[in-house]
Amino acid sequence: MHQKLTLRDFALVIALLLICGFFSVMSPDFLSARNLSLLVTELAITATLAIGMLLVILPGHIDLSAGSGVGLIGGIAAVLITNHHWPAPFAMLAGLGAAVILWLAMGSLIVLERIPAFIITLGGLLVFRGLFWRVINNHTVPVAPGGQSNVMSLLTTYNLPHFAGYVIADVIVAALVIARIRSKQSRRSYGLPVEDGELTFLKLFLAAQFIFLFVIVTNQYHGVPFPALVLAAVAGFTWVLTHHTPFGRYLYAIGGNEEAAVVSGIPVQKITIAAFVLMGVIVAITGFMQTAYGGYSTTTIGELMELDAVAACVIGGVSLKGGRGTVLGVLFGALIMACLINGMTLLAVEPENKYIARGAVLILAVWMDVRLAK
Amino acid sequence: MPPILAAKKITKRFPGVTALSNVSFDLQPGEIHALCGENGAGKSTLIKLLSGIHPHGTYEGELHVEGKPVAFQSIADAEKAGLAVIYQELALVDSMTVAENIFLGDEPHRFGLIDWTRVFREAKALLDRFKVDIDPTAQCERLGIGQKQLVEIVKALAKDSRILILDEPTAALAEHEVQVLLAILKDLRQRGISCIYISHKLDEVFALADRITVLRDGSTITTLAASETSKAEIIRHMVGREIQNLFPRRREFTGASASQTPALQVEGLSVSDPHTEKVLLHDIAFSVAPGEVLGIGGLMGAGRTELLMHIFGAWGRRNGGTVKLSGKALPEGKPAEILRRGLALVSEDRRRYGLILEESINFNLSLSSLSRITSAGLLDSHREYRENSRMFDSLHVKAPSLDAVVGKLSGGNQQKVVIGKALLTEPQVIFLDEPTRGIDVGAKTEIYEIINQLTAAGKAVVLVSSELPELIGMSDRILMLHTGRVTGEFQRSEATQERLLSAAMGQNVPSPSPN
Repeated sequence: MHQKLTLRDFALVIALLLICGFFSVMSPDFLSARNLSLLVTELAITATLAIGMLLVILPGHIDLSAGSGVGLIGGIAAVLITNHHWPAPFAMLAGLGAAVILWLAMGSLIVLERIPAFIITLGGLLVFRGLFWRVINNHTVPVAPGGQSNVMSLLTTYNLPHFAGYVIADVIVAALVIARIRSKQSRRSYGLPVEDGELTFLKLFLAAQFIFLFVIVTNQYHGVPFPALVLAAVAGFTWVLTHHTPFGRYLYAIGGNEEAAVVSGIPVQKITIAAFVLMGVIVAITGFMQTAYGGYSTTTIGELMELDAVAACVIGGVSLKGGRGTVLGVLFGALIMACLINGMTLLAVEPENKYIARGAVLILAVWMDVRLAK
Repeated sequence: MPPILAAKKITKRFPGVTALSNVSFDLQPGEIHALCGENGAGKSTLIKLLSGIHPHGTYEGELHVEGKPVAFQSIADAEKAGLAVIYQELALVDSMTVAENIFLGDEPHRFGLIDWTRVFREAKALLDRFKVDIDPTAQCERLGIGQKQLVEIVKALAKDSRILILDEPTAALAEHEVQVLLAILKDLRQRGISCIYISHKLDEVFALADRITVLRDGSTITTLAASETSKAEIIRHMVGREIQNLFPRRREFTGASASQTPALQVEGLSVSDPHTEKVLLHDIAFSVAPGEVLGIGGLMGAGRTELLMHIFGAWGRRNGGTVKLSGKALPEGKPAEILRRGLALVSEDRRRYGLILEESINFNLSLSSLSRITSAGLLDSHREYRENSRMFDSLHVKAPSLDAVVGKLSGGNQQKVVIGKALLTEPQVIFLDEPTRGIDVGAKTEIYEIINQLTAAGKAVVLVSSELPELIGMSDRILMLHTGRVTGEFQRSEATQERLLSAAMGQNVPSPSPN
């Protein structure tokens, strides 16, 4: 679990730098504060869903229904708000409830009836897409009727005040420093080797630099986009879950060897179903953000998003057989995908070529993975 | 006549270790040559070198086939020269028939289409020629492990192999299957086919081999004619020290008192296979007292593993009967709860049921006992590391550190990790299913010592073993199973190999000699 940096990780960083370098040369707007703010929002949506995908891929499953789910859950909330005049928070809670029930049902079918996740979620992909179109009645339903704003629309339009951005950055950096110091104390008290002080400082310094740079750049536009906070919360939660709880350990163990996990006394069925329910929650969050980002719920919302999520996972080093992958890797994979899509949109690349490029990058990443694994 | 195969002054280095140093070895035509050595002695490396997995140029020294130097670049080169390795992990396609497997990759064809008549006819002829009684049209998944092994051998012979390399071929075979295999190897020797035979089972080695080469720590220690040496001498060469007592059971257990609650009590247990509905365990009853080792023996298919797996909650549907742990009924089919209640299982198939092979020793050791190091929902990974280190040290696991990947350890060290994982759950009763299968003598002794420590601490141990000397040497009481029924129960003082074997084969047990 404590993976050392490999050649692959460096290749990933280099690939990201190459992609960013290419787009910033081709389009001077790529590195503008405005575009970077948009990129952050797009990244947050892609990466949040990809992190959910990590949770179901780790125990060896997959979720092809995520994209349709994003459309459906966002659609349910939008319809409740616009057509039934529900307050946005209640509409979103209803959407969340629906997602939890649907993913609980799929997870139970997969685990208890032993039907492959590929089949169940492929069915989900079609069924949810159909349900979605029924829910919005093939119309275009605004997230906030009459051009007003509500909690749901603010999800992607709200930016933190400049001052708040700095405060939050300070809090995050302080939390990182304290966590690191406490970890060191704990290691010392157990007599374990402790990392060199200068190295720790360097790592923390770089992380802090990155966080402040991020706030400074986004503050040059409208301030830190709210989706960045959503992503930070989802990623932080999932990181703690996968690395610091028995639940996370069990996900890796089940993906690594399910039979051994059973004999090790791991409640494999409960854990796997719980992973799907968490996926449902994350699909709902992504659905609200993606629908709000578009401003309307329309029939195309969420299309192929499940494949972007899988691609982000695979590029980030997640094994589709299960048992291998980290939140940090997935974030990186999502960043590469988001930069690619954003850059191509800036360059006004035709949609057909965009698809080809996305596919090519995915294949390239896996090919690289296979080569470098040798 | 030159040897058909010779390795001359082979040295093979891996980063940080020298796996083989200056190893020389030769194989005569029509000879069965056994390789013996503890795990990690270099046998596997030598085989990988002979079979082209470690290509020419990655080692020093020379390989000769029929007196001529060869430079294998790949497995294909070695096969072309007539070498075939029969691996422990079988390489057959389960969904294909025996005949298809035999000719896989080399199908007789006509006009570009596979000539199925010839495939089956020639497969039948081959099987007959080597006196293997298997239907060529049978699906491989329906065969037992022993039969699959024979199919692999025939497959190798179909490619005109003159040198067979068998790596622990009998590890998973029942006694009668072993006999069939040995008979076929002897027959092949008559036909001039040479064989390198690797086994931890010295009985087989002496029944079969013409010569025996002992490897230790990457060096050839000696090569002896089997007729001029003894098991004790071979073991001495393997370990480099005399083992006085192979089974150092400390006899502190003096029998259960009537008032004491048994650690585990099983009554009238009847279990069927959930897929085939076939009843595999009939009316099983036994109990184990704290501090006692109950041995369970029986031939392959007697239901020993099924019995343990069922009590542990991981297999089978119960038709009747009860299981009590320290007087309280255990639920059926809930391994997580059963483990929490104090019953742990070390499976016979550690790679399948025991380990997450891609993960570290640290990850595997604490996997069953994470609740002990969790507070407020979060793992205390530093405390985990320290407690795992203690277990790691006390079990003498030979690995660079706790972070070593389990899949890369030797069998004995993997087994120690599985046992360590069970011990960390602090069980009252521990099931050990073939705990010493496929591991070297030194590690075996260490596992016996762990059993002693467990019983000294008042834990109950259920030990399943196919090796009768081990069963007799380590158990306080022995239960024999035959086709899912208890056919004999013996105090250690009345257990002899003949009596146990009779019970295992469902025969009348000869009466004990008076004592």
